[in-house]
Amino acid sequence: MRTDDQPTGPAATAPYRFAEQHTPPAAQRVSEVAQTTFEHVYEVDPRLMQTHVLQQVFPNWDTLRIMRSRHDHLAWMHRHFAEKVVTGSELLAEIEAEATDVRDPQQSTADTGSISGPGAR
Amino acid sequence: MTQVEPERTRDADALSQPFTPGAPSNPPELAAYPETLAGPVPPPRSDPKTAAFVEQWRNTSYNCYSSGHKFCREVCPVTQVERNESWTPTAFHANVVAMERGELDIADIAADYVNCTQCGACELRCPNTLFTGDFYRFRTRTVDVVKAVRSLAVESGVHQPSWQIWNERTDLRTHEPVLGETPVSQERVRDWAEGLDIPIGGETVLFVDCEAAFYRTSVPRAVAQMLQMAGYEFGLMGEQWCCGGPAAEMGYAEQAQRFARHNLDNWRATGTKRVLVLDPHDYISFTEDYPKYFGEEFDVEVVLVIEVLAQLLREGRLTPSVPVDRAITYHDPCRLNKRKGIWQEPRELLRAIPGLRFEDVDRVTQWSYCSGGGGGLPIEKPELTAKISAMRLERAAELDVDTLVSACPWSERPLSEAGDAEDIDVVDLHELFAQSLGITVGGSRGDVGDRRLAQERTGVPGRARRAHGSSRGGCGGGGCGGGGCGNGSGGCGCGGH
Repeated sequence: MRTDDQPTGPAATAPYRFAEQHTPPAAQRVSEVAQTTFEHVYEVDPRLMQTHVLQQVFPNWDTLRIMRSRHDHLAWMHRHFAEKVVTGSELLAEIEAEATDVRDPQQSTADTGSISGPGAR
Repeated sequence: MTQVEPERTRDADALSQPFTPGAPSNPPELAAYPETLAGPVPPPRSDPKTAAFVEQWRNTSYNCYSSGHKFCREVCPVTQVERNESWTPTAFHANVVAMERGELDIADIAADYVNCTQCGACELRCPNTLFTGDFYRFRTRTVDVVKAVRSLAVESGVHQPSWQIWNERTDLRTHEPVLGETPVSQERVRDWAEGLDIPIGGETVLFVDCEAAFYRTSVPRAVAQMLQMAGYEFGLMGEQWCCGGPAAEMGYAEQAQRFARHNLDNWRATGTKRVLVLDPHDYISFTEDYPKYFGEEFDVEVVLVIEVLAQLLREGRLTPSVPVDRAITYHDPCRLNKRKGIWQEPRELLRAIPGLRFEDVDRVTQWSYCSGGGGGLPIEKPELTAKISAMRLERAAELDVDTLVSACPWSERPLSEAGDAEDIDVVDLHELFAQSLGITVGGSRGDVGDRRLAQERTGVPGRARRAHGSSRGGCGGGGCGGGGCGNGSGGCGCGGH
């Protein structure tokens, strides 16, 4: 789940200004324990990290650096080690289809239910 | 309230079914379910400095210690060349756990923490950063832990001899003693700009780090002349001191903050709103250390020169037109690539240079690359820096290049020395871009750089130009006599030279 009006965030080389860096976009709730700020950035509900382990000070550049580095790293891993890249949703659909075939060979695999989300391509 | 080893009955075992802690939809009985810790809480340390230290850094250290992924090992430059288990990022965190439990004191471990360049590879590659750091807003912080341990050591009177001398001299001169026994001083910090007619102060000032201001003066000269060519207005600081970053890296925290205070006050005094930074180490200081020191008071805009140049290139205000006859690869400076995610603009500038053959190594592969020049390592352990920079040059030598381009003056001295052994030039990105703009840069590229620049380079660009190229599959440009080197590659590129 994501919204279409999320900012992608400034470039890594954007001028550093303290106030901007410590003002993330308004959080939008995506589940009862998670929220989203920048596009592709999901965060735990901060109210769940107020007791034992407190959240660190996280300027925007650091959040975006980690998110972008993760994407870079996954792409790198795929490029170096994967013969073929499939999404989790494709695998789940495949498993579900096989299970449906076993239960009822006459039933079409088309009604196994779609898995929505940005990964379902 | 967290309980330690609570009484738990089988019937009350909520863990028999998976649930998301804290989710409002959980059954009410889970809200009252006691959380557990793995063991007894150790008694607090009697030494107040150590007690405050472990209190601040225990969580981030347990974050490493309790997960034990160890993906950090193969990206850590020190681990790659030394294989010393006491000098790994894992050990740096485990020691803090042991300190909390009273099993180690700062004097036992301080010397181990010298062995870190603070390149940030370990903390970026750690899954606790890369895969969950932004989600929890809680990531691995090896660099901060290393700095904090070094600071605790200094506060506790445990000094590393070369670092102590270095910082005493820096404090005395207000600049790092990068010229060895040749003194540096406030009176000479602007000598690099001789003849360039740059004003003092103003809304935008160019901050030049100690290494570039006194040793590799070609870098600031290149930057200043390019900005002037584009009509970009800037001045120099009224009274520039060292940024303080190296002192902070080596544990001399009070000195670092005192220097930072001076610089911020000086910017205020000259009405400065924006600081241009050409050195990645300064960029870290100004965007990470200064905000911690000053909070909202730090209202100065910090801009990396590389971004300014990329913008001027896009706008057509700088257009490289002079071909540069080199085959290069680019060294991603750790403090740009790993610690800031800046890799795109340097490549944008390099690809705009006509005549240049650019053999790129991607930014993720380079997470495991380092010059060895950071974190004070060359000061206390130059032999370890030399090992790391030699490894970096060996990687460059595997490519069909004759030049390694960096964008960090602090990396360029050790890389140049290692490059000399491989017969590879080490050139700064700003120097190269200025050359392609037709600028005669001037200044010095340091001892090795100046000597190599004076040598005539012949032959087609690439491995063929190197005296050591033949040992790595190239011809070396002279060994085959120009009649076919037989290296099996279908063309060594020696061109008969």
